[in-house]
Amino acid sequence: MNEFFAYFIKLMPQMVGGLSVTVGLFAITLVFSIPLGVLVAGLRMSKNQLLSNLTKLYIWIFRGTPLILQVVFFYYGLPNLGIRLDPFPTAAMAFVINYTAYFAEIFRGGIQSIDRGQHEAADVLGMTKAQTMMRIILPQAFKRVLPAVGNEAITLVKDSALVYVISLSDLLRVVTVASIRDFTVTPFFVAAVLYLLMTFVLEQVLAYVEARFSYYE
Amino acid sequence: MNETGVPIVEAQGIYKRFGELEVLCGIDLKVSKGEVVALIGPSGSGKSTLLRSINVLERIDRGSIAIDGSPMVQETQGKAQYVSDTELRRMRRKMGMVFQNFNLFPHMSVLENVMVAPVQVLGRSKREAEEKAMDLLGKVGLLDKATNYPYEISGGQKQRVAIARALAMDPELLCFDEPTSALDPELTGEVLKTMQDLARERMTMLVVTHEIGFARDVADRVVFMDRGIVVEEGTSREVLSAPSHPRLKAFLGLVDR
Repeated sequence: MNEFFAYFIKLMPQMVGGLSVTVGLFAITLVFSIPLGVLVAGLRMSKNQLLSNLTKLYIWIFRGTPLILQVVFFYYGLPNLGIRLDPFPTAAMAFVINYTAYFAEIFRGGIQSIDRGQHEAADVLGMTKAQTMMRIILPQAFKRVLPAVGNEAITLVKDSALVYVISLSDLLRVVTVASIRDFTVTPFFVAAVLYLLMTFVLEQVLAYVEARFSYYE
Repeated sequence: MNETGVPIVEAQGIYKRFGELEVLCGIDLKVSKGEVVALIGPSGSGKSTLLRSINVLERIDRGSIAIDGSPMVQETQGKAQYVSDTELRRMRRKMGMVFQNFNLFPHMSVLENVMVAPVQVLGRSKREAEEKAMDLLGKVGLLDKATNYPYEISGGQKQRVAIARALAMDPELLCFDEPTSALDPELTGEVLKTMQDLARERMTMLVVTHEIGFARDVADRVVFMDRGIVVEEGTSREVLSAPSHPRLKAFLGLVDR
């Protein structure tokens, strides 16, 4: 057992680098894709057919192909378009665009689940469409979609492991390297424990947010 | 009620269909300031649709509606033409609406429900809006519920909050769409009493209702609709005590035998 802990301590410095990539990617993706998801949901519901159809096309492409493929395409494709980015920003961009597509559909479902009477009540009070959305519809929709958003956030923690494909050293890649180098599977156990720890913390945060929203109903 | 000045609502030749179903087939309706008008009729007669058309919750196919003398929708070449959305929003402020299902905002306290529109739409300060909201909650007898959320109060209380919310915008006309139909019988009384108080203050009201008693006691005028047309209208005494049209008699349960 002591041997295990000694090994664990020895691995830690490398782990920290891998963890920071994983956590960084997680944070950036959430921070950008949630607000963008609201925006895209709005475009998807637009009365403008062109906008709505373009949004549908975008959602179809990014939900309909593997995320790993999108990361690869961004990594090898962007330089061809004259955009040169480091691997991390490239991965972050692919993740944001992919997750935005999912969040957009989640938010659309939430927004459309709000009773028509809420729109009518805001209408007869003279509120503009924007006021109705911001003050009346979205606050209620957010509460309804929280469990689904939580699902996505948990998935995102694990999806971050896909960035190994463009040789980014995230948590999983670091342990893989250590495992091969040291002829042991122990690093994988360590990784599993760390993933579980991250998702545990995340679940506590989600539970807290849900509790804060449960002040009504 | 003597009809002086410009009517608050003047609707002429209203037609409205939902797909194949013709719901309003040439309706004229006039509501004068200070008047309480009850719209009665069997289910599917089009009375709610008429009320919702006046509030622009439905758009009519043909006909014209003027609010306080200014045209909101006019008929040109057989089609209803509405004024711009901005103009519509401005005109809507003159009208309040109380729904059958209350439609309170569940994520806001009772007080916030009453304050939100004056702050957002009229640009009133929070303090001013709160003062007025508390006044109105006092008037509908719910001062002690100000910090509660809609799920914590009864249906009758919800409807009274909805009335306070509508009044907070200082409407010149208050519309009610079957305000007691979703309530348990023992809760209708408190809502009807609130409406009666408003009538006493000469609030102009247009009320779609199944409460014949309310129409008889409170309304100045009663309009009976059936199958998309106005069948009979007059003072509540004329219409309810001495109905002439057989459909109205049948509706009132006074069928000739």
